Amino acid sequence: MAIDYQPRIVGFLCNWCSYAGADMAGTSRMTYPSNILIIRVPCSGRVDPLLVVKCFEQGADGVLVSGCHPGDCHYAEGNYHARRRFALLRSLLDFLGIEKERLRVEWVSASEGGRFRELVSSFTEEVIRLGPRGEVTVGPQSADP
Amino acid sequence: MDPSQQIREKAKELLTSGAVQCVIGYERATDGVTARPLFAYEVEDVDRFIFDQTCSHNLTRYLLDKRDKDTAVVAKPCDSRAINLLLNEKQIQRERVFVIGVACQGVVETEWNHVTERLQTRCELCRQHTPVIYDFLVGEAPEEEPPSQAYPDVSQIEARPIAERRSLWEGHFSRCIRCYACRQVCPGCYCTECFVEQLDPLWAGIRIAPPENEIWHTIRAFHLAGRCIGCNECERVCPVNIPLSLLNRKLEKEVDQLFGFQAGLSAEALPPFATFEKEEILE
Amino acid sequence: MMAQFISKKDLLAWLEKLIQERTLIAPARTNDLLLFQLISRVDDIVLNSNTELSPKECFFPATETLFTVRTNEGHTELVAETVDRETVIFGLRPCDAMGIALIDRPFLAEPADTLYGQHRARTILVGLACSQPKGECFCTSLGGGPDDATHLDILLTEVEDGYIVQAVTERGKEILPPVAERELPLPPTPSLEAIPTEGLPEVMKRFFEAPYWSRLADRCLHCNICAYVCPTCYCFDVRDYSTKGTVERVRSWESCQSPGFTRIAGGYDPRPTKGARLRQRFYHKFLYFPEQFGALGCVGCGRCIRACPVNIDIREIISDIQRMGAKGGA
Repeated sequence: MAIDYQPRIVGFLCNWCSYAGADMAGTSRMTYPSNILIIRVPCSGRVDPLLVVKCFEQGADGVLVSGCHPGDCHYAEGNYHARRRFALLRSLLDFLGIEKERLRVEWVSASEGGRFRELVSSFTEEVIRLGPRGEVTVGPQSADP
Repeated sequence: MDPSQQIREKAKELLTSGAVQCVIGYERATDGVTARPLFAYEVEDVDRFIFDQTCSHNLTRYLLDKRDKDTAVVAKPCDSRAINLLLNEKQIQRERVFVIGVACQGVVETEWNHVTERLQTRCELCRQHTPVIYDFLVGEAPEEEPPSQAYPDVSQIEARPIAERRSLWEGHFSRCIRCYACRQVCPGCYCTECFVEQLDPLWAGIRIAPPENEIWHTIRAFHLAGRCIGCNECERVCPVNIPLSLLNRKLEKEVDQLFGFQAGLSAEALPPFATFEKEEILE
Repeated sequence: MMAQFISKKDLLAWLEKLIQERTLIAPARTNDLLLFQLISRVDDIVLNSNTELSPKECFFPATETLFTVRTNEGHTELVAETVDRETVIFGLRPCDAMGIALIDRPFLAEPADTLYGQHRARTILVGLACSQPKGECFCTSLGGGPDDATHLDILLTEVEDGYIVQAVTERGKEILPPVAERELPLPPTPSLEAIPTEGLPEVMKRFFEAPYWSRLADRCLHCNICAYVCPTCYCFDVRDYSTKGTVERVRSWESCQSPGFTRIAGGYDPRPTKGARLRQRFYHKFLYFPEQFGALGCVGCGRCIRACPVNIDIREIISDIQRMGAKGGA
C-alpha cells in the first residue's frame, strides 16, 4: 500500500437529513477528513446504483450513501427503497471482488452533526485500511453534448 | 405420443382455427443435431417442429416482437416463468398468448455441431419440471420436487478470497466484446433505450474496455435482480464464454434470502424492488 | 517437386527469435476459446483450429483511440496515436488473409485510414494452410482455398515432420527462417462443400422487397456476434470523450444489426425493422461491397455459422436466394 495513499471517497447525501447533518457538523466547526466529495441529492432513494458503480470505475476508493432514518424520509418511502437496493448492491460488489465495506450506507438526521463527523472519520479510516480500490484504467469519460 | 408430434398437432389446430397467427417453437438447425427457433405462420410448416433435449432456447423473448399478433409459444418450465414476468410487468397481453407448455427433464449442453449427453448445470439444479403457466401441456407432468435452495456454483465463488474473486471477474470482463447478445436474448431486457446506450448521462460509452465492460455487466445483473428467471440464455449465447449465470444466480440467491422472493412464479406478485417492509433488517 | 522445408524444431526456434525481435501474435487458448493473442511463450501457440474471432482486430481493434487533444493554460496540442511496433501474425488461415485484403479496400482507399495503414505496414502475415477445414468452411466458393497463398507474406503447409515454406512476398523473404531444399509433394488440397455464389449480386438485386428477410429476421436477436467474429465486417462508431481539458476521439466496433444503428438526429430510422437490418448485412456483403470494391464481402470462414445463437446460416441464405432467383419472379 502506498505510503501517501489518500483515499477518494464520494458521499451521496440527501438534502433533507444527511446533507443538513453534514452542514451542522461544519457550522459547529467539527473537523473530519476532507477526502470525501459530497454530492447533494433530494433523497437517498434517488441514488441510482449505477452512480455508485460508476464512482468505483472512475477511481473512487469508497462510496457513502446517506439519508434520513427509515421512517423519517422526507418523501415518505425513498429510503426504504434505497435500503433494499444497496443491501443487494453491496453483496453483488463483494461477489465481484470489491469489498462490501467500500460501500457504506448510513442514516444521519439533520441534527446529527456529530454522528456525521464520526461516520466520515471512521469510514475514511476503513477505506485507508482497505487500500486503494484498484488501478484506474478508465480514460476520460463524459461526452461533450 | 412424443412431444414433437403433440406440438405439431397443437400448432396445426391453432393455425387452422385462426386462434393464432404464428406459432413459435423449435426445429432442427443446419448442423443437423442442434435446435433453432421456428416461426410457423402456415400449416405446412408445422411438420418441422421438434422438441427434445437440444431445445435450449428461451423462445418467450420473441413475444416482445409479436405484441400485435396472437401468438403461440412453446415454453419449458424456466421459459414459462419469463411469461409470468412479462405479464407482471405489463409487457404482453395474456389474451394474445397461447402457451404450449412442455414438461421438461432438462436440456443438454450443446454447441455448434456437437450435442453432449451432459445436462446443463442450470437443469441439474432445477426442480421445476412443469411450466408455471400454460394453456396446453405437452408431456407428462412428473411429481414436483420442492424448489432447490442450493446455489453450489455461487457458494463456490463466495468461498474464494476476495482478491481471487477480483482477478477472476477482471479476467472475464476483459474478454467481453460488447456484442450485447446477452441483452438481446434476455426476455427481461426490453428497454427501448438501454442504459448502456444513453449519451446523457453517459454511463459507459462506446469504448470496449474492462472498466466499461464491468459497468455493463454489473448493472445489467442489477437491473435483473428479482426478475431473472434463470433460463441461462445469456451465458449460452456469449461468444467469449463469460459465466454470466454466476452473476444472475448470486442475485437470485440474495433476493430469495433477503426478501423471500422468486421471480416469475406468479403474474401478480409485487416485485421486491417495488415494495418494502418498514422494519426489515437486511444486513 | 523441390520445396523449401523447415522442421518443427527449427520453426519453434524461429518463432522464439520473432518473440525477441518483434511482436508475435498467434492463436492461443483462453477459457476454452482460441483467439489471436500476444505470444510470450511459444508453447502457448495452438494451431489445430481456426480462432473464434478473426485477426481483423490486429488492424482494426475493437476499441482504438484515434487522437487526444490536450489543453493546458491556453496551449492546445493534438496528439495523434501512432503504431510503433513491428508485428508478425503467425498461424493465419488463407480465408483470414483474404479477409484482410478485402477490408484493405475500404480502409486504404483514399483518404486512407491512418492507423489501419500503419498497422498494415508494420505487420507481416505468416499463414498456415488448412489440412482439416471445418464442415462449415466454404472458402473455395468465394475465390479462395485452404492452401491459397495469395494474400500472405509466407505460407506454411504442414507435412510429416515439419512444414513446407512458401515465401510469397519480398517482406516474407526478408524474415524467412533458414530452410532446406527437399523433394516433397505438396499435400492434396482438401475439398469443401460448394456453395452457389455464382452471379449472386445480380440475383440479390431482385429480392430487396421480398418477405424472405423479415421472416428470417424473426429469430435474429440483433446482437453483434456475426459482425464481430466476421473477418470482413468493418462498421464502427466514433465518439469524442472529454474531461477537464482533454478530448479523446475513440473508435469502436459497431454493427448494422444493432437496433438504432441507423437512427439519426430527430429520431428517424431508415432501418427500423428487424427485417430491414438483417437484410442490410447480406446486401452489403453480396451486392453493395461487390459493386464498390469488386469482390463479394465474405471469405467463407464459417465463423458466423458457428457463433450465431439462432442458426442464421449464411450458406442457407445464399442457397435460398439462388433458388428464389432460379424460380423467377420479383
